[in-house]
Amino acid sequence: MTADKEKRRAISREAARRRRRVESEVFEDLSRLLPLQQSVRDHLDKPSVIRLTLSYIRMHTLLTGKTGTKAEASHKVICGQVTDGQMVRHEFNGGCGEDEEKEKYDAEASEETNMYLRILEGFLMVLSTEGDMIYLSENVSKYMGLTQTELMGHNIFEFSHPCDHEELRNNLRVTAEEVWSGEKRDFVMRIKSALTHRGRSANLKSATWKVLHCQGRSKVCVAPSSVSCLLLTCQPLPLSHTLLSTQTFTSQHSMDMRFTYCDQRMTLLLGYSTEELLGRSIYDLCHTRDTNCLTKNHFNLCFKSQSVSGRYRMLVRGGGYVWVESHSAVIPNAHSSKSRPGANQPLCILCVTYVLSGVEEPSLQLSLDQTVHI
Amino acid sequence: MRPQPPSGTPAPVCGMSAGGCDGAADWPADVSDGSSLPAVELPRKRKGDMEERNSTDCKMEDDLSRSEEEDQQVKIKCFREPHRQIEKRRRDKMNNLIDELSAMIPACQPMVQKPDKLTVLRKAVQHLKALKVGTSSAFADSTNKPSILPQDDFRQLLLRAADGFMLVVSCDRAKILFISESVSKILNFSLLELTGQSLFDFIHPKDINKVKEQLSSWEYPQEHMIDAATGLQVQTDAPIKPTHLSSGAWRSFFCRMKHSRVAGKQEEKHQLPCTAKKKDTSRYCTLHCTGYMRSCPSSQLDSEGDAETPSLSCLVMLCRPLPHGSPEPPKHINAKPSAFVTRCAIDGKFTFVEQQATTVIGYLPQEVLGTSCYEYFHQDDLQHLAEKHRQVLRSKEKIETQCYKFKTKYGSYVSLQSQWFSFTNPWTKEVEFIVSSNRVMSGPGHIKDEEAGRLKAMQEEIPIIPSLSNGVGTMIYAGSIGTQIANELIDSYSRVNSSQSSGASSPFGSTNEKCPLVSPPISTSASSGGGAASSSSQPDSRTAAGASSATADSSGQVSQLDLDGMVVPAMSSFSSDEAAMAVIMSLLETEVNVGQPGDYEDLHWPF
Repeated sequence: MTADKEKRRAISREAARRRRRVESEVFEDLSRLLPLQQSVRDHLDKPSVIRLTLSYIRMHTLLTGKTGTKAEASHKVICGQVTDGQMVRHEFNGGCGEDEEKEKYDAEASEETNMYLRILEGFLMVLSTEGDMIYLSENVSKYMGLTQTELMGHNIFEFSHPCDHEELRNNLRVTAEEVWSGEKRDFVMRIKSALTHRGRSANLKSATWKVLHCQGRSKVCVAPSSVSCLLLTCQPLPLSHTLLSTQTFTSQHSMDMRFTYCDQRMTLLLGYSTEELLGRSIYDLCHTRDTNCLTKNHFNLCFKSQSVSGRYRMLVRGGGYVWVESHSAVIPNAHSSKSRPGANQPLCILCVTYVLSGVEEPSLQLSLDQTVHI
Repeated sequence: MRPQPPSGTPAPVCGMSAGGCDGAADWPADVSDGSSLPAVELPRKRKGDMEERNSTDCKMEDDLSRSEEEDQQVKIKCFREPHRQIEKRRRDKMNNLIDELSAMIPACQPMVQKPDKLTVLRKAVQHLKALKVGTSSAFADSTNKPSILPQDDFRQLLLRAADGFMLVVSCDRAKILFISESVSKILNFSLLELTGQSLFDFIHPKDINKVKEQLSSWEYPQEHMIDAATGLQVQTDAPIKPTHLSSGAWRSFFCRMKHSRVAGKQEEKHQLPCTAKKKDTSRYCTLHCTGYMRSCPSSQLDSEGDAETPSLSCLVMLCRPLPHGSPEPPKHINAKPSAFVTRCAIDGKFTFVEQQATTVIGYLPQEVLGTSCYEYFHQDDLQHLAEKHRQVLRSKEKIETQCYKFKTKYGSYVSLQSQWFSFTNPWTKEVEFIVSSNRVMSGPGHIKDEEAGRLKAMQEEIPIIPSLSNGVGTMIYAGSIGTQIANELIDSYSRVNSSQSSGASSPFGSTNEKCPLVSPPISTSASSGGGAASSSSQPDSRTAAGASSATADSSGQVSQLDLDGMVVPAMSSFSSDEAAMAVIMSLLETEVNVGQPGDYEDLHWPF
């Protein structure tokens, strides 16, 4: 290598270093503007800073922008009252003399927010039409094992089960095509969770799948820039520790949805005795027009292991039917042979069914299973 | 000067990867790299140098004779190669992010030329500063935890996503202590009308006891708890898993709440499922209420609150109306009285008949349940309907029948046209029943003359006893058509099942790692077994190998039945219509498809 070339290389290296330094400074400026804790800020890498900046800007657009049809056009960025009616922002007049009050307000507000999140039993996700997780509530770490700042801005497809991608894509596509806000969504998806059984965060490489029930609606923002997104609450489906009221019953089924067990409340509510039901398929017990609803539920169970059915009708013994909703999950069969614990445990389906209505049309016998001589 | 992105296929936006756990490969690079890229001697940052290095390496690849030195260099190349890939990916990712950022910043929009990285970043800084000018100062420099979203906005967003409202009620008298503004959108009541009122004033009378029960106990009675891990009710001595329930018990229930009609509001687009009560003119909507118990400090109670109880227990809940998309209440279904839905077992016996059917066929559902649909089909239609029957059991599609005649209770025929659909259990892949949507095509008055003549002749023969066609023999034969078709199907199941290995099909296991394949799991027993073994990333107890042995058992029993054995005894018992039956049976036998296992290759997921 000639000395000349060597010199040129040294100069270009110097220039590169200078550029990098300047760039780092700008990155630091940017990260300081983000509303984050210092400890979190120190650990951000450059792509993360950009991701979070993007999320911040997008959320700001979402919250302050005008919602409405895409045909409308508006150039004003509205800070303050929003025409949506739902979003009212509180303004503070500077900070002089009100710091203490402000702090108290902050503390209470934060407490209230925590309460909301606790009741929700899940986290909030805002998805762009491309699948970017624009915003995630802080408690996402409890469910996915990764923090809000680690995840925000990334794409949902990196974290969801490949077999659920199709359904996700459909949901996002419909959102992108929508003109009006507010269309509802309800689906189940599997997401990576880096939590171990004890609740500690592990490496994502050893991630397990967690099932989430996602419900929400779309939100279409017109101005300043067109931002369509999905607002979703994502909840795992816990069946434990639920106080079962007199209007709920549990049942267990084999994987083909035949009854293997049901508790005595089922007898009180629907009139069937446990013996009558064993081996019977749930499909026989329900109104034919709800077959699709049940099938979707079953399908979710087979592939995603948890499901929330919509409302469907269960036929009451002797006549009539009630509207119900079931929350189900696939669990290892506790009643099976205990001599072989571990990998080859057979599975069964556990359902918690809520009875929503009284008995409708009690004199109506629609199905063979209702008739008394069975 | 901003380095131009290298040519070639660009990396996907934001590192989106389609593979299952492939995303994990990208992850550690992003998160763990807390500092800027190290300044290494290898001039990787500059594209020119990179290309130079590329070309050198390529030349080396072409060199066939390798000395030890060249081997060494090849090794280094192999090491650098993936490194280069990683670098490229990183750069592309960064560039994509910058592009997205510039798209979001208004200042970057009108630029003709694509701005360079540094400019975009600087503009972003300016933009953020501008955004923060008009916003609540809760954002920055707060001693409390700052958050990306201001608290209020977050709560609003959450309620909007959850499509519900927050409700806090005192446990003793069910006084509404707090309710969020979003309730007005859901129940059409204003906050003023609700706050401070008793919750029971708004709950459907039949649900009051249920809600009382949910409000009553601070500590949940053990016998009503279930443990998700085992599905069994919790024993008193079993330890409750420490979850988020730090202060109180968790509640989840459904109840109906009043919702008011607001004058002038358009109700057609109302998405809430409502049941109009007959006596009460109020309308109710069903809500799913989830929440937990907590003790409220007295400061949160209004002035009328009990002075002697400094701390009150209350229930804090999120109430969400039930999701849209559930089936409509029956009243809407009755819109077309000339259509009704029935369900039959695979042999054609009615197991479910809607009430509207009575207006069409004259029979009450219970008169028809358990009898075979073939008993009501007109003789002329038997063949075509039997063919459709056979078809529907083997198809995932909806099968349309032609017009056919269905015998009513009074002996006359009504012309129907039906759409049949066989329901396959998602787990066992076996057909469980057939759903039929039946439409009335025309009344008896529209039948052609010659048919009317024949019809009249038939009517004269018919005995007065309802649900019997002409002669007991024909009835039984007609019924056995359905049974035979069903048996063909069951036979084909058993043939397929006997050919597979001991573990029955388990779609849960085989498809957990990969997407469901088009071919049904029944015939790919080997791959399902293999799939089960490879699902190592599954959490412990949920495994792939969960076999439902019930499938094999039930079909094993049925396979003992003999096709011919079913029909022959019936035929020998009755001599009168034997000839007619024989004709029909021969027609069926020639078309009998002996259910090759191959038949199931064509079936695919109905979803």
